[in-house]
Amino acid sequence: MPDDTGRQTVPAAGGAVTAPPAATAAPAPRQVEVDPRGIRALIFLRDRGIFVLWVLLLIGFAVWDHPFFASVDNGILIANAAALTAIFAAGVAVGIICGALDLSIPGTAAMAACSCGYLMEHGRPVWLSLLVGMAIGVVVGLLNGLISLRGFNPIIVTIGMLSITTAAASIISGGYSIPGLDSLEFMGTRRYGGVPAPVWIAAVLFLLGTIFLTRTRDGLRLMAVGGNPEAVRRSGIHSDRYKVLGFVISSVCAALGGLVSTAVVTEASPEASPAIIFTALTAVALAGVSLAGGRGSLPRVLVGALVLATISNGLTIKGVNPYWGTGVTGLLLLGSLGLEKWVSGTVSRRLVLTAQASVHSGRQ
Amino acid sequence: MSAQSPAQSPVRPAALELTGIDLHYGFVRALDQIDFQVGQGEVVALLGDNGAGKSSLLKVLSGAHRPTIGSIRVHGEEAAFHAPSDATAAGIEMVYQDLALVDAQDIATNLNIGREILRRGPLGWFGFVDHRAQRRRSEAELDQLGVRTAAMTRPVEMLSGGQRQVVALARSATRVSGERKGVLLLDEPTAALGYEQTQQVQALIRRMAKQGIAIVLVTHDLPLAVAVSDRIVVLNRGRKVADVATEQTDNDQLVGWITGARASMFV
Repeated sequence: MPDDTGRQTVPAAGGAVTAPPAATAAPAPRQVEVDPRGIRALIFLRDRGIFVLWVLLLIGFAVWDHPFFASVDNGILIANAAALTAIFAAGVAVGIICGALDLSIPGTAAMAACSCGYLMEHGRPVWLSLLVGMAIGVVVGLLNGLISLRGFNPIIVTIGMLSITTAAASIISGGYSIPGLDSLEFMGTRRYGGVPAPVWIAAVLFLLGTIFLTRTRDGLRLMAVGGNPEAVRRSGIHSDRYKVLGFVISSVCAALGGLVSTAVVTEASPEASPAIIFTALTAVALAGVSLAGGRGSLPRVLVGALVLATISNGLTIKGVNPYWGTGVTGLLLLGSLGLEKWVSGTVSRRLVLTAQASVHSGRQ
Repeated sequence: MSAQSPAQSPVRPAALELTGIDLHYGFVRALDQIDFQVGQGEVVALLGDNGAGKSSLLKVLSGAHRPTIGSIRVHGEEAAFHAPSDATAAGIEMVYQDLALVDAQDIATNLNIGREILRRGPLGWFGFVDHRAQRRRSEAELDQLGVRTAAMTRPVEMLSGGQRQVVALARSATRVSGERKGVLLLDEPTAALGYEQTQQVQALIRRMAKQGIAIVLVTHDLPLAVAVSDRIVVLNRGRKVADVATEQTDNDQLVGWITGARASMFV
């Protein structure tokens, strides 16, 4: 190869490949680039598919269960049934988004509930008892996070913490449920504007959580840490802090869920039911939150919880045995995985095509 | 066929200058009396076979390793890097082969992470990010670099390999193009790319240099090095065997230096 060939290809290639050299010197006003319609439709399906599914379910049950399903009262019933699942699912989702599945959630819930119940039983004010319950969430989350940062597998760490918190709950309550917590009724069964308190609590939690994750600097960094901690670290950010923050939020949601459950039945149970985490995980997975971390959205998780509640409600009204609902949920979950894979695959194939086209033509 | 001469004035000190660098790993001498410099707006390609010392030199440049002997000057001032963050603070950015992008987030978020624009007023106090301003800034920055990739709101996972590389390069470029232009260290930027995409990245490297960024390019891709660089430095067994303007050399010479078949320029 002669000396100058390579040198001469540079500007020529530069011009042909992207923008003409003139555009570099004085950038022309750029028109906003928009993705092709097909891709936007696919992305919509991936990001909003759960909403579509829920609407289809609502329409289906409204027709099938006519006239009992489509009523305001039944809507509130579904929302109330979904609220508790949704609160726990928010905890699971934030944990996963930040990069770790927090399995200690049932234990944290039980421990927060029993501490709150114990304090109330011993005549402490309600607000203080609730505050201590929430504080337990913060402490458990901090411990989970700080231990995991030492390089231990978060799943094992949180399993250990599940055992510890479950034991602590039993020790605090003496091994029995603490009944008669009637002064928690204000956040359990009482209705505000016709809507039960747990629904309001879940709504506020998801509203705040969504704003935090999508609008604030810390929330965006938290999601980025879940996606690629190395990228965040290289940007000069202490990614460890955000990992711990993810655990803390997760445990705080768990504590909140425990307190609300207690308020609904006015009884603090030391039993940590693993079913909590699997139901929550189902809602989270339905919402397309990847276990690999870094992606997911809370509104979708909320709809995931609503889908579960809608299915069980709709089938119950029709007198179908509840185990059918469990089965249908499983099918939906597997179906959603297949759909997600198909959509991602199709999008990336189409995008590679357009990307190559843009290399040749110089525009999208 | 635009002017290729770097925007480098003789008076201005080099953006990054290494003098008499030795690096020992135990008894192994990985780098032996290396002098190396890169000026503002200059692209220097660093060539060499496996084990020639390219990675070691890159690690010294990026602050990951401290040289056993030798001095480092950034814009003429003596500097000692104890950690990569020191180098980053001095305006030296490394672009790794693995890109380190957050796949699920969109282009604008990736370009802005770590230097987010907050909203004005009370919302800003709570850490609310001004997404629109961030998108505008990123668009302006990409325009300035002359790269049009895709919609700013497109997640990075939906970009082609070349587009991702462009985003990663642009992210680093925006971090070093402050008042005093910094230094970009590129480690095999086209290793995973096809022909067209390599062309795209190549054009981007030239444009970044035109803006005054000093660029060190470590690569195995000889045609890329010849096409994009102003100067080529060849290492062989930890020694610098060639430091030559790209115009004044050719493939045969370079291959000779890389393999050791050709005698060093400095003996």
